Amino acid sequence: MEVKRIMCCCGSGLGSSMLVRMNVEKTLKKLDYQGIDVTHSSVSDATENAADLFVVGKDLEQFVSQLPRVIVLDNIMDMNELETKLDAELKK
Amino acid sequence: MKDMLKRENVQIVERVEDWQEAIHVGVQPLVDGNYVEPRYIDAIITNTHTFGPYYVLCKDLALLHASSDCGVNEKQLALTVLRQPVRFKPDGYDVRLLVTLAASDSESHMQAMQAISNIFSDENRIEKLATAATADDAYAQFIAAAKE
Repeated sequence: MEVKRIMCCCGSGLGSSMLVRMNVEKTLKKLDYQGIDVTHSSVSDATENAADLFVVGKDLEQFVSQLPRVIVLDNIMDMNELETKLDAELKK
Repeated sequence: MKDMLKRENVQIVERVEDWQEAIHVGVQPLVDGNYVEPRYIDAIITNTHTFGPYYVLCKDLALLHASSDCGVNEKQLALTVLRQPVRFKPDGYDVRLLVTLAASDSESHMQAMQAISNIFSDENRIEKLATAATADDAYAQFIAAAKE
């Protein structure tokens, strides 16, 4: 399924999720993916219909295990890891 | 950015006993300045028990924060440089920099997050900030990163 909405999540939906969102937006631009809406929120908002793809840090993996499409980042600040995983996921 | 991080909210601390004390010490300047209520500290500790220390974003950085409705009066940052590192979990990263975020909503601190992103995606800059000689120096580094 084509990804139109990506939601980045953290415990409170304010800090780390916003950082990840900024990094996702930069990466999408770099890889020239267009028309994808990126938001940030708390894991409690991460329900199946909230987005097509979710991005979380490793610490929160267990809280999003019920979702169909999730990218789990070992290092939230690592742009290379994000680029590799995001590109692979969007090519599916 | 100077509105978002005030000089008086930057401090250098020799050491803390454990992660809970780190949260107390890291948030205290914002309590003192009435940017947050004391319960903001408890909210971060409770969040940590629930979700784990997900706000330790990389080696040396803990981005301490809880929701806007947990006692935030006004948006502001605090920066604490720890001379001796602390761990938020036994197998976690050593952390020397505590950045405390009090956000008034989910969007308006974007510029502050950009500064954090600029500093913490670069190991050399992390090291430079963690070894800042004075709080003035640490403050200047942070403000400069926000202007990029």
